[in-house]
Amino acid sequence: MKGYKKSMNMLKKPRIKSIFINNKRVLLSSILIRYLLLLLGLTVMVTPMIYMITSSFRPNSLTFAYPPKIIPDTSELTVENYLYILFKENFSKYMLNTLYVAGAATILPAIISSMLAYCISRFRFPGRNIIYGTIITTMLIPGLAMLVPQFELAVKFKLVDNLWGVILFYTAWVTPFSTFLIKGFIDNIPRELDEAMYIDGGTVFTIYRKVILPLASPSIAAISIFNFLFAFEELGWSQTILRTDQVRTIPVAITQFFQAHNRTDWGYVFAMTCLSMIPVIILYLLLQKYFISGLSSGAIKE
Amino acid sequence: MTSGVFFITSKYFRKKDNIRMLLLLVPGLVVIVMFTFYPIIKMFIMSFFDWKIGYNQVSPFVGIKNYIAVFSDPIAGIALTNTIFYAAVTVPGQMILGLLAALLINGIKKFNVTFRLLYYLPVVTSWVIVSLLFRYIFSNNGLLNYLLTDVFKWIPEYIGWLSTRWPAMTSTTLLGIWKGIGWNMVIFLAALQAVPEEYYEAASIDGAGYIQKFFYITLPNIKGTILFCTVMLTIGAFNTYTPIAVITGGNPAHQTDIVLTWMYYQTFSSFKMGYAAALSFIVAGIVAVISIILFKVLGHERI
Repeated sequence: MKGYKKSMNMLKKPRIKSIFINNKRVLLSSILIRYLLLLLGLTVMVTPMIYMITSSFRPNSLTFAYPPKIIPDTSELTVENYLYILFKENFSKYMLNTLYVAGAATILPAIISSMLAYCISRFRFPGRNIIYGTIITTMLIPGLAMLVPQFELAVKFKLVDNLWGVILFYTAWVTPFSTFLIKGFIDNIPRELDEAMYIDGGTVFTIYRKVILPLASPSIAAISIFNFLFAFEELGWSQTILRTDQVRTIPVAITQFFQAHNRTDWGYVFAMTCLSMIPVIILYLLLQKYFISGLSSGAIKE
Repeated sequence: MTSGVFFITSKYFRKKDNIRMLLLLVPGLVVIVMFTFYPIIKMFIMSFFDWKIGYNQVSPFVGIKNYIAVFSDPIAGIALTNTIFYAAVTVPGQMILGLLAALLINGIKKFNVTFRLLYYLPVVTSWVIVSLLFRYIFSNNGLLNYLLTDVFKWIPEYIGWLSTRWPAMTSTTLLGIWKGIGWNMVIFLAALQAVPEEYYEAASIDGAGYIQKFFYITLPNIKGTILFCTVMLTIGAFNTYTPIAVITGGNPAHQTDIVLTWMYYQTFSSFKMGYAAALSFIVAGIVAVISIILFKVLGHERI
């Protein structure tokens, strides 16, 4: 079989090359078209972002000046907006709150859902199908759609105005999808590895720690990024639960700030949004491999 | 083969391991049951009551009155139409553009990663930020009106994008598509790379063109991914809250409300908890039905 394939390749190679040479002009122009279209798309994708950054360096008085400028004159540029946000507002407090919430709401689901996924993937116990069915069903229902009973629950557990009120609910919302995704990944890890570990005297815990966690880590990393971004930006629930200034997270703070400033001080608003993007951008550049390979582990599975 | 209560795959497992396994299982179950499953049941019960949230308040049983109220409420109808419009446009919109971007990027070598990183940038930016940004760009004296009237001269007069229902819904929909392209691109890129190269080579030898290759090889091979994206994005579209809350706030006169913003308003401004519960149960039902239909129509591929 191998020899046959090799000889086929040898047969094929010159033919393809010749096609390539004959059609070289066509191929080149098709690549050129690809780049042109991609550049066109890129303009649409990044212009709004560039516009936001440049607007954050323009004084508030100019934000509604006409015509709008994507690239402002250098004489207009000012850092006054940033100084205002950093020193006159509680920005660092909001940022710490947000990072605390997003951090906890990333780590907790990672632990909980990988344990859950391991059990569902590896063991056949009574009620397993019911549990898995429940997980799939809750995945289909939007978290915010359960607003009323969840709010009652939060009131009962004194979780209003408490960062843990946000963390626990985020964890509950993202755990079903995380479990679903990680379970799919664990299903593909060979069982022989578990059994080898078991014969060596390992328990369920050691298998989880030494086999499942390391081997499933790509899927856990991908879903953790997803969960982090979700917790970093969620607005509906956090503005319901976090009502005092001390516990406010960035999405809530930005919306409140925007409304408090008569919806006009766009310079301040954009300085705040640009600053709040810094942690995500740093993370994005550090972990770009995981970002742009994203959730593909869950999406493409034979 | 069996040991204790649990039927375990390997005969090597000891009885003690059942307890250990239970310890791994319990935290996840507690969190899901308490904070998601219990609220769903509670919501179902609440939807049959005129629910009051304070202490010492009696919540009278009203039967299916809340459901009747939702179905006879014109604003609930508007909110539902807006949500379906948003889902029906953004889901195919971002999938087609994302797939196109993936196909284009898949064929080039230089700047491949740069394009991916930059196209993905709107995905990592939070909804609050991009919504505020689009509110600014779509404002009357904003960048978009300036570009359309004064730079390209495509339209004679400004459009009041955010002041009436359909232009405002269009703006939000454009935002949804713009933000989603990168996510779809990444998923489709991975799917495209999983299609065996030999298929394309064979098709080339048979003389198939780009379009034929796309419809006869690419599409059938990424069917599972298309299903995955459609389900995830449809759930996401019905879960949309932030862009409308930030860009229009449902104004003017609830014309641009979508189900979640309308439900939020009913809960915390009108205190009609039972109504809100009935509404969200209807929406949850719609999402579940759509997902099941998608699975049935697009096949039984495991995703």
